[in-house]
Amino acid sequence: MNLMMRTMPRRASVPIAFAAVTSLLLAGCSGGKDDAPAGGAKEFSVLVTTENTQTGKMFDDLKANQCSDAQKQLPYTLSQTPSSEMQSKVQLLGGQNALPVMYAGTQSLIAPKGDLQVSGQVLDLKETFQKLGVLDQVTPAAQSVIEQLYAGSFPTVPLQFNIEGIFYNKKIFADHNIAIPTTLGELTAAAAKLKAEGVTPFVASGKTGWTISRWLGAILYSELGPDALQKIKDKKAKLTDPQYVAAAQKLQELGKYFIDGITNLDYDTMNAQMLNGNAAMMYMGTWFLAAVNDPKQNKVGDNIGFFGVPGIKGYPANVGSPNAVNAKLYNDGVGSWLTCIAKNWGSESLKKQGTFSGFKVNTPVDSLPALTADIQKKIDNAPASVLWFEGLFTPKANNDSSANAAPLLTGAMSAKDFMTLIQSDLDAEA
Amino acid sequence: MTAINVETAPRPRTGAPRRESGTLAGRLTGGLLVKLLIAVIVIAEIYPMFWILTNSFKTKSEIVDEPLWSLPGGLQWHNYVDAWTTGSLGHYALNSLIVTVPSLILILLLGAAAGFALEVMVWKGRNAVLFLIVGGMMVPLQMVLLPLFTIYFNLNISDSYLPLIITYVGHGLPLTVFMMATYFRAVPRELFEALAIEGGGPFRAFFSIGLPLIRNGLFTIGLLQFFSVWNDLLIALTFNVDSKLSTVQVGLLHFSDEYGSVDYGPLFAAISITVFGTLAVYLILNQQVMRGLTAGSVKG
Amino acid sequence: MKHVFGNKKAIVTFLLPALLIYLGVMVVPAVWSLFLAFMHGNPVRGFEFTGMKNVDRLFSDPQAGHALWFTLKYAIVISVGQIVLGYALALLYVFVLRKASTFVRTLVFFPVVVPTVAVALLFNRMFASSPQEGPVNALLGLVGLGGTDWFADGNKAFIVIVIMDLWRTMGFFAVLLYAGLIEIPEEIMESARLDGAGTWRLVRHIVLPLSMPVLLATVIFSLNASLKVFDSIVALNNGGPGYQTTPLNLLMFKTAFSFGDFGYGSTLALVITLVCLTVTLFVFRSSRRDLTKD
Repeated sequence: MNLMMRTMPRRASVPIAFAAVTSLLLAGCSGGKDDAPAGGAKEFSVLVTTENTQTGKMFDDLKANQCSDAQKQLPYTLSQTPSSEMQSKVQLLGGQNALPVMYAGTQSLIAPKGDLQVSGQVLDLKETFQKLGVLDQVTPAAQSVIEQLYAGSFPTVPLQFNIEGIFYNKKIFADHNIAIPTTLGELTAAAAKLKAEGVTPFVASGKTGWTISRWLGAILYSELGPDALQKIKDKKAKLTDPQYVAAAQKLQELGKYFIDGITNLDYDTMNAQMLNGNAAMMYMGTWFLAAVNDPKQNKVGDNIGFFGVPGIKGYPANVGSPNAVNAKLYNDGVGSWLTCIAKNWGSESLKKQGTFSGFKVNTPVDSLPALTADIQKKIDNAPASVLWFEGLFTPKANNDSSANAAPLLTGAMSAKDFMTLIQSDLDAEA
Repeated sequence: MTAINVETAPRPRTGAPRRESGTLAGRLTGGLLVKLLIAVIVIAEIYPMFWILTNSFKTKSEIVDEPLWSLPGGLQWHNYVDAWTTGSLGHYALNSLIVTVPSLILILLLGAAAGFALEVMVWKGRNAVLFLIVGGMMVPLQMVLLPLFTIYFNLNISDSYLPLIITYVGHGLPLTVFMMATYFRAVPRELFEALAIEGGGPFRAFFSIGLPLIRNGLFTIGLLQFFSVWNDLLIALTFNVDSKLSTVQVGLLHFSDEYGSVDYGPLFAAISITVFGTLAVYLILNQQVMRGLTAGSVKG
Repeated sequence: MKHVFGNKKAIVTFLLPALLIYLGVMVVPAVWSLFLAFMHGNPVRGFEFTGMKNVDRLFSDPQAGHALWFTLKYAIVISVGQIVLGYALALLYVFVLRKASTFVRTLVFFPVVVPTVAVALLFNRMFASSPQEGPVNALLGLVGLGGTDWFADGNKAFIVIVIMDLWRTMGFFAVLLYAGLIEIPEEIMESARLDGAGTWRLVRHIVLPLSMPVLLATVIFSLNASLKVFDSIVALNNGGPGYQTTPLNLLMFKTAFSFGDFGYGSTLALVITLVCLTVTLFVFRSSRRDLTKD
């Protein structure tokens, strides 16, 4: 670029251009305006990912019914950005002090010591919910997941709550005389039997790499205990330690039981394999219930079942993508919205969307589909939850783990190389 | 850099009727081979069109589960209804038009004017400026987004269509100016000089000789820029703070869910509407422009 | 005469609007990013100067090295393909199809109109190995070669990417080059034909030199566009498996936008710009040599 500046014809343009650049740079580096509107939010603006179709529908529903009072105080508005750009969008808006009231942050930005936290744009929700008298509306399971994820703080509204485990085809299990496995050894044996008898034991999507890497988390928890990944975060262990590499090795050995041509298989093809009865098992979160409960997609009806990963007490759980609240815009109107959400979100999302949230279900919902009801019971009775494989990872480690999961599974990448790559990403960020 | 100025200017075409060259082609490759080649090209282009159209009538399981070439079991017209509502197609198409039309006009007008200034006008340093502008083709678009966001924000225009239009114009100009300069180079210099002798100024030279003579080029570049603006996703995503201002391409993202699932039926219905819609517009425009071109070619 | 085409006021009026917008939208932000290349931080925290740290990281980053190599490989293959196929199609339009070319021209141009998502899905299905075997593998099976998992290996995935992108863009380049060809005056061709120039010689000695300016501009455009390849690869296989088919531009985008590391992202962007600059200068130079020789 310097070179081009030098070839500018008129000498005078060079200083002018530089003056322009400098003044703009100064404007940019000074961190933008620091004038959050006095008295807080004028509207209840929400920013979620484009892919998140549920939250918008829920808000539309609530603002017309249960939350109509809050709506009168602060009208609700929605904006969306694809998840791949959410990180940069939130940074750009945060840098200009222009974040909406509720925004889908990225974990690292809203965690303690995260940049948005430091710049005072993240509301402490534990304190707020307590002040509003609705902290008891948050389920203990959701609280525990949030506190694990955010080192004891509470920066996100748990609009979702999902557990993860293995969905399986009951009919295939019955036809091949297989019982629900209780150890990893039994799981492997079951897979071997199915494969020998001509059934695809596992389906996953290489293009959506986390559907494979979550298996690695499952194996780690099962083999090394529930604190296996917390130790990595706390730097008490490294992914390159022999027992961790051995777990990746174990996943690679399971590779032969996964569907062929996995590398570029997409998410929908994967789901379809499970829902048309071609595959016996799939590691997935409870959001999959939406597809299970959709008769247009589900060709095997009530034959889909769910069990936890063998060898883990409880389930890997998450609270969906982060939904932070902008501390600078907080006022009574925002408070009314949060109160209303805490009291109504749980039952409404179960009733209208068939999905779970981190809020208590205050109005019992009847006539839930069998599997949904079954999983609701499992959530209610579950002992402490663990995080998923990438739960505590940085964005780059997350991406690398997802991108390289298929090569790990097919043997194109060695277990050691895989773990070395992720560990170096984690080290780099520190 | 001097290569830009290589004098290869051909004479303008005259009204001489084109000679039939069917025999030439025959001599060259044999009619059959050419026909076969054309048939292959046509199939390679028509089948995908057909595939997109049939997919828009399939259910999700039919698209995901059945072989590529399978036909829909029934006609899922509701895909089109979903496409229209979920993707807010009508609303977003209007936004796309509001953004595309002014961008295109500005790109062509400013680009042609700048190309004229850099190629036909004579002044010191024009090669350097041309190269500075060509340099814009080398900068990855992704990298100007962060500074631009800050600039637009501080100018207080981020809630309007302006950021999109300005960015499209700025980004489209390098290629346009470069190509326009190239096209102007092909116009014989004597034509401009004759006008100057008659006493015409540079503005008349531009509007009454320059522009008509590069009509072909204007049309081609207009076409290319139209599709690059119409199909843009990156710029639209970055500067759209308000969903009300979203364009069609952003609307297409609404068919994916948080975990990676895509609502294929409605997505293909939406794609069919936009693709065949633009194609129809293109065909009509193309015919008009072609008619204009053949009519104008006698003048040269 | 001189004063008509040297009219300062006219030059300024013609050039200034374009130049100002271009400077504001491309040059100023690009220079701004150049500064970021030597910084670390993000828009929330602000940026701090870190000297050559990003550059050091660049030289020790195997992903960046591989991405550079992949980008060059891709750009060369695609540009040669685009120009050769585009020029062949343009010649076909002008000499063989002539008046009837509108239909074929529109058809071949059609993929440009289609959103990349749909194109990528089509090629995914074409080259699929499971659960449904795609047509390509079925065909390979028929001739006894046996199918393969095209996306599990970087080299095979590269083949799919090349076929997809050439199919997608050749019509576009054909139209660009066609606009140059139809400007060639009929009587020049006519006199060449009367001289008894064979078709090949006609193309080589008359058509090619006369379409040289447009051809050269197209080559430069093609190289600069393919060196910055982005969305088709994202949609097809997101640069996989692993990082094997990740071009620089995608790595840069992920680094800056998904990982939030604008500093290092800008460093990668600087590399892309420098590569484009070098390649463009190289093309200008070598074309000048060629043309003066003629």
